[in-house]
Amino acid sequence: MSEKYTIEVKKRPWYEWLLWALWLLVSLFTLQNAVASGTELEPRAATIFWIVFVILVLGGGIVWYIRRDN
Amino acid sequence: MEGNKKRLSRRDFFRLAGIGIGSAAVVSAAKPMANPSDFKGGTFSDPAGRPNRPWWVKTVDEPTTEIDWDVMERYNERTGTVRGPGMAGYVGDDEVDRLSDVAKQNEKQRMLDDVDGYTLKDQALKSSHVGVGRSFLGPQKAKTPEDRGVPKWEGSPEEAARIIRAAMRHMGASSVGFMELDDNTRKLVYGVDPDGKDVIFTDDPIAEETEDARMVPNAAKYVIVYTVQMSTETMRRAPTPLASQTTTLAYKRGETIQASLQEFLRGLGYQCLAESSTNALGIAPAMAVMAGLGEMSRLNRLITPEFGPMVRVFKAFTDLPVAVDKPIDAGIMEFCKRCKKCAEACPSESLSFEDEPTWETRGGWNNPGHKAYFEDAVTCRAFWREQAGTNCGICFAVCPFTKKDKAWVHEWVKAGASTAPVLDSFFRSMDDAFGYGTQANSEEWWSLDLPEYGIDSNQPVMEA
Repeated sequence: MSEKYTIEVKKRPWYEWLLWALWLLVSLFTLQNAVASGTELEPRAATIFWIVFVILVLGGGIVWYIRRDN
Repeated sequence: MEGNKKRLSRRDFFRLAGIGIGSAAVVSAAKPMANPSDFKGGTFSDPAGRPNRPWWVKTVDEPTTEIDWDVMERYNERTGTVRGPGMAGYVGDDEVDRLSDVAKQNEKQRMLDDVDGYTLKDQALKSSHVGVGRSFLGPQKAKTPEDRGVPKWEGSPEEAARIIRAAMRHMGASSVGFMELDDNTRKLVYGVDPDGKDVIFTDDPIAEETEDARMVPNAAKYVIVYTVQMSTETMRRAPTPLASQTTTLAYKRGETIQASLQEFLRGLGYQCLAESSTNALGIAPAMAVMAGLGEMSRLNRLITPEFGPMVRVFKAFTDLPVAVDKPIDAGIMEFCKRCKKCAEACPSESLSFEDEPTWETRGGWNNPGHKAYFEDAVTCRAFWREQAGTNCGICFAVCPFTKKDKAWVHEWVKAGASTAPVLDSFFRSMDDAFGYGTQANSEEWWSLDLPEYGIDSNQPVMEA
């Protein structure tokens, strides 16, 4: 008694990789500015950059989590 | 347990590792990024030692400040300026005396009241900066080639510019540029120096100073213009004596550099004629513009692409032929048209709110013949005396070009302002939103572990 399984492998399209690369670059840029603004003694700028960075990371994480099995 | 193992797949591991490495790279990059002037290490790539400036700083044939050389005349710094005795010419001796009295009373009362930035320790720091003294002809103590029994130094104009740049950077100059005096640019040299001595060009090859005049040989037509950086972190305490002492310090450092430069050129076998007193000899911002160090601005002062307005500017003449520089366009003057942050912050409302620069001067303290944002120097100076009790500097502190050099965003914004003026208003709004230019607590300054001279820069000397 044999059972047949069909495994469908969906390759991510190129533009999705591009979007993730863009997300990574923007996140790194924001992180650099957050850390550097702290050392520049610019607390408000640092806070804004940290908030943006956290939103970017959380947003990226959520998107990745939702799409991880697709 | 099985489920946990599955979650950390190889793909996830590499992803996490990538993020970790990237983050580490960013954190380590929090130290200053590549300096726009590429001052760090290496060798000069340009034969004249010109620094590698950012791509958005363009050299141009004509400065971004329009000049009508036919209208411009050599300026009388003795009577024209509001510095020193010139102020009395505009407001009268009685008002000058009154302002001085108010300033003295305020200074004492603020010290007694322990007002932040005005305390005895702030005043003591401001009074502590002493220089080596300035003179037109220089100390003249260094051995000349003749003294050493060797011929004077010879080299191409490019070589000369390069070794002067190298020497002056070593002496502490932030940036160095060169311009040449011709029939037009001679008009940037004062007709009368601050002490009342005439500045006269002469065919005599040797410079001379008499009781009434300073004689500049026509051969000494090369102008060395240099900047000395001020402390951004200190200036953001303006207007206080604590903040203004970074100005004093920069002037004193400039004084020392001047004497060293004069002796260096003497040692090479050439003359170097410089400022006999602070801001003497010629119009420093104008010469800096012609030498490509920066652009004029709404402050009616120099703004450099690298350090913003946070510099003091100095000049010296030499008969050593050097390769001269061209003016630059970094989008600074264009940005000033839309920004107006300095004018809004100016407590005495002395800065121009005009949308466009104008040929119309505001008073005798301005030199006609160039299109600029002219300021009301009398109300500015009166505010110093009556209210601030010291040099002000708020306009320097709030300028969006006054930025430290650690966060990458600053370079991006400067590049954006230079190439896409349509974004200037947005950049100005963001500058406010991010809290740049807000006044900082003066007492806190005394707890800061600031770098040498309080300068936030990636100059090699700061990278301890």
